[in-house]
Amino acid sequence: MRLLVVEDEVRIAELVRRGLEAAGFVVDGLRFCADAREALATTAYDAIILDLGLPDGDGMGLLSGLGSLDSRPPVLVLTARDAVEDRVLGLDAGADDYLVKPFAMTELIARTKALLRRPGGALGIVLKAGNITFDSVGRDVRVADTSLALPRREAAILEQLMRRLGRVAPKVVLEDKLYGIDDELESNAIPVHVHHLRRKLLDAGATAEIHTVRGVGYLLTEAKP
Amino acid sequence: MSSSWSRSLQFRLAIRLALVYLIATLIALAVIAYKAFDVAAALNDRELRLRAGDLARSVIVDDGGAPRLAMSSKLTADYASPAGRDVFAIRTAEGHVLAAHPKSFGDRAATWPLASDEPSWFQLENESAGADDFLGLNIAVPSVAGPVSISVAQAGGQSVFVESVVTDFLLDAAWIAPLTFIVTLGAGVLVIRSGLAPMREASRIATRIGPTSTDIRLPRENLPKEIEPLVTAMNSALDRLDQGFALQRRFTANAAHELRTPLAILTAALDSMPPGEDVAKLRDDAARMNRLVEQLLRVARLDAIALKVSDTVDLNAAAASVVAAMAPLAVASRRPLALIEAEGSVEVKGNRHAIEDALRNLIENALAHSPEQAEISVRVDRSGSLIVSDQGPGVAVEDHERIFERFWRGSGAKATGAGLGLAIVREIMKAHGGRVSVGNNPGGGAVFSLVFAGAP
Repeated sequence: MRLLVVEDEVRIAELVRRGLEAAGFVVDGLRFCADAREALATTAYDAIILDLGLPDGDGMGLLSGLGSLDSRPPVLVLTARDAVEDRVLGLDAGADDYLVKPFAMTELIARTKALLRRPGGALGIVLKAGNITFDSVGRDVRVADTSLALPRREAAILEQLMRRLGRVAPKVVLEDKLYGIDDELESNAIPVHVHHLRRKLLDAGATAEIHTVRGVGYLLTEAKP
Repeated sequence: MSSSWSRSLQFRLAIRLALVYLIATLIALAVIAYKAFDVAAALNDRELRLRAGDLARSVIVDDGGAPRLAMSSKLTADYASPAGRDVFAIRTAEGHVLAAHPKSFGDRAATWPLASDEPSWFQLENESAGADDFLGLNIAVPSVAGPVSISVAQAGGQSVFVESVVTDFLLDAAWIAPLTFIVTLGAGVLVIRSGLAPMREASRIATRIGPTSTDIRLPRENLPKEIEPLVTAMNSALDRLDQGFALQRRFTANAAHELRTPLAILTAALDSMPPGEDVAKLRDDAARMNRLVEQLLRVARLDAIALKVSDTVDLNAAAASVVAAMAPLAVASRRPLALIEAEGSVEVKGNRHAIEDALRNLIENALAHSPEQAEISVRVDRSGSLIVSDQGPGVAVEDHERIFERFWRGSGAKATGAGLGLAIVREIMKAHGGRVSVGNNPGGGAVFSLVFAGAP
């Protein structure tokens, strides 16, 4: 997977590149908006990491310019400005996620992967969490290479949890994704499905587990090695 | 209440105006009454003169050449009515009493000097018990028999007619005067009120000036000249205040950037180093520095910039957002988080970002003090409050106030905090017109409550 990092602080750019490359990405690092525009026109990137305070023009300008590209890659903006207004402006201008400096490298990597896990994203077609893989096209679930049979609804829940790996999937979102307008929804349906799913994953020796956050939703985390 | 009344300019002007009106009315009434009696007296005099004239015309000279009074039937009738009411005495130029009614009066009058052309007045006691004194006129009037000295008097000095006219007039004045007084006073108060209206408007605008609306200035149009210097001075002071706020905002924003960038570089560099015990310690130190800088900047911002607390915030949604965001951290440290939403919508006036910040701080605090596997619960109460409970050691009663002070660190706290988290929570709640309080769970553990304004 190929990432574009647009950051003018030399030291930060260097460290970000190193961290992302260690996580398995291919990284192009640029310092100026103009160069970034050129690069975007010629190369297909899976995601962009963009610093908003660039020297030759605001990163915001580049952001809004992106809207015109077809198959626009997801954008994570970095900035030292964290006033709420800037945050909202960044997201309104088309950023998909926002990270304030200083940040932990692990946080940057986790968020980048989250962006890529969206449907159609580079990591969004075959989802991975621990030793679970989920082929979202073929609807095939494997735990440590062994196929795991799951009923339709449980598979759908697993897919949503895997896309949001490390973040909470609210119960209402799960209900939304699973049930159409006409379907009957019993209030206890999701917890029951999750209970069964959890059991099956445990029995299959999965290295990712589902946590219940009472009153909010569910969280899939990779077990620590 | 009474003191604020008496300091009202309107009230003071109205009171002074009322006093002036009252005195003027009383003086006017006194003058009118005096004048009325004056007129009554004049009328009375006139009547007496007319009578004297009538009497003089009734003097004839009889066949023997002696003057005699021959009253017309009308005059006779006049003088015949209630005895003791009217008296007269007519004397010749020689002093001889020509006629008198009653006769005793004639004897009296005979002792007086003769009247001249100039009228003179006399007052006699009325012998009839309970009747008024006589007020009378002496005057010399020409007649057929030569000049005669006529003394004529009426009891009470006033005829009934004149008396009733004057009385009616004074009675009317008596109720018209207070009525006029009230009406003109009312009109006066209204005039004062409308005159002061520009000042009241300026005051109303001034009350809207607050930390979140520092661009309001007092209008100078229509203000009385006397108030203008005050308003101008106030507007200048507000300008200076505005500039001060702007300077502080720029400073904290710059400081944020300047401090964060080197920290970001340091943190990233440490993250990319191969793992090891020393590196781990350095990472912890850097994390602690990060946290301290963040908190210091947050406190500085809260001090410098008034929080805009004018949005409507759904507490259920805000709590869900914060709990979802913090769940990964909680799960990683094996301290489960739970949310209990309130039934129905719970909305408060405030700043969503700040409220979420406050809640986040409370949860971080709970995570730092809670034992593993012990649930930390966040509850939204319908009365408009957020309650965070943990199962940690709780907070000693004597510390219940002090934990919210800046840089307070309890004995059991991990050394990663700067002691600012709870102070920030208190500042945020203060800006919202609410409060934060701590109590202890009966079953052990601390209970922190964010209570918003309007909640009981």
